[in-house]
Amino acid sequence: MKINLTINGASRVFEIAPEEKLLDVLRREGYVGVKEGCGSGDCGACAVLYNGRAVNSCLVFAAKADGADIVTVEGLAKGRTLHPIQEAFLDVGAVQCGYCTPGMMISTYDLLSRTPDPNEDQIREALSGNLCRCTGYVKQIDAVKKAAQLMKEGSHD
Amino acid sequence: MKDQGSRAKLVGGGIDVALYGTSGTEVLIDVTGLGLDEIEQSADTLSLGASVTLTELLEHPATADLYGGVLRDVLRDVASPLLRNMATVAGTIASAHPWSDMISLFLAMDARLTCYDAGGEKTIPLESMLSDRASLHTSLIVGVKLPVSSISVQFEKFTRTGFDVGVLNCAVGLVPDNQDCTQVRIVLGGTPAIASRVPAGEQLLEGNQLTDAAIEEAATAVAEALEVRDDLRASAAYRRELAAVGVRRCLNRIAEGWSAGT
Repeated sequence: MKINLTINGASRVFEIAPEEKLLDVLRREGYVGVKEGCGSGDCGACAVLYNGRAVNSCLVFAAKADGADIVTVEGLAKGRTLHPIQEAFLDVGAVQCGYCTPGMMISTYDLLSRTPDPNEDQIREALSGNLCRCTGYVKQIDAVKKAAQLMKEGSHD
Repeated sequence: MKDQGSRAKLVGGGIDVALYGTSGTEVLIDVTGLGLDEIEQSADTLSLGASVTLTELLEHPATADLYGGVLRDVLRDVASPLLRNMATVAGTIASAHPWSDMISLFLAMDARLTCYDAGGEKTIPLESMLSDRASLHTSLIVGVKLPVSSISVQFEKFTRTGFDVGVLNCAVGLVPDNQDCTQVRIVLGGTPAIASRVPAGEQLLEGNQLTDAAIEEAATAVAEALEVRDDLRASAAYRRELAAVGVRRCLNRIAEGWSAGT
């Protein structure tokens, strides 16, 4: 079967199997910034924006996503200019192996698009579905605070 | 559904079907395109469309103030934002997970389901749907109605970690009549069976005041009457202990709310 998706602003048509998950389709089509960690909705490494909200793409049937607007981590940067969220994660060192980082940034995007000036509780809540096995959930919190600040200062969306 | 029979299954967010699969299912029917995504509040009812996501319910302006913030606080602890963004109100009910926080809470509230089947539309208590889960295969949940006036509701869950499903949960709903308890509903979930009411505790409180002694008596009666089992998360004996603690905490908070005049 065929599905139509808007991915990172571009219209795409994909041939999919009925039981396929969005995660598998995205990775097959080259959006490998979307990671598979647990495959069961626990770790958040596969997070993408689905009609503006962060979801676990491992648990979304690709067929259900027909017509949806999807943003992956590849869609955050504008050309060679990093998104403030990416800049912030780099600046504060909120990456070690980097496997959870795309999902963390997608959850951050969802948070900051609704709560531009979040407190620490709100940040922890927003990232609660993103597991990181290297670090201690400290630098990511700092990164979200910094991203919020950068986005307030700049005109970047 | 009519054409496909047991080969077909309705899905909302589709999370549970994606995660657990369903043997024998060949056709999935996505009901989230039906426009059942409104939240409406009247003087005595909060009506939720079947496809309302848990996030939409959590973020709705009405949710923060209802039941002294209990609905909001319970939702915040359900799974993660990533899952709540997909999970729908009706899907949560249809999945009928034994550990479900929402099902316990909705049962304590005496939530009603608006369902549609071959006979047309009807409204049934969530409690009846859970005791006849086969009906989930022949009807479509189109909405959930929660009573919002006069009812007092509290919830308590016990988990090993915040993200894990609960070891046990407890929800209590009742309607105060002057200082007396009426329409008492004490619900225990994750026992590890699916949530159900515990009449032994309810009967002790019905028509009586919420004194310290009455609360203690009800908590003890619930713990004694509750059917519990061992599983990988906890032993039956531990669950029995927790049940008393849960009931006591819920009732104490309701009593505090009343004395504070809320």
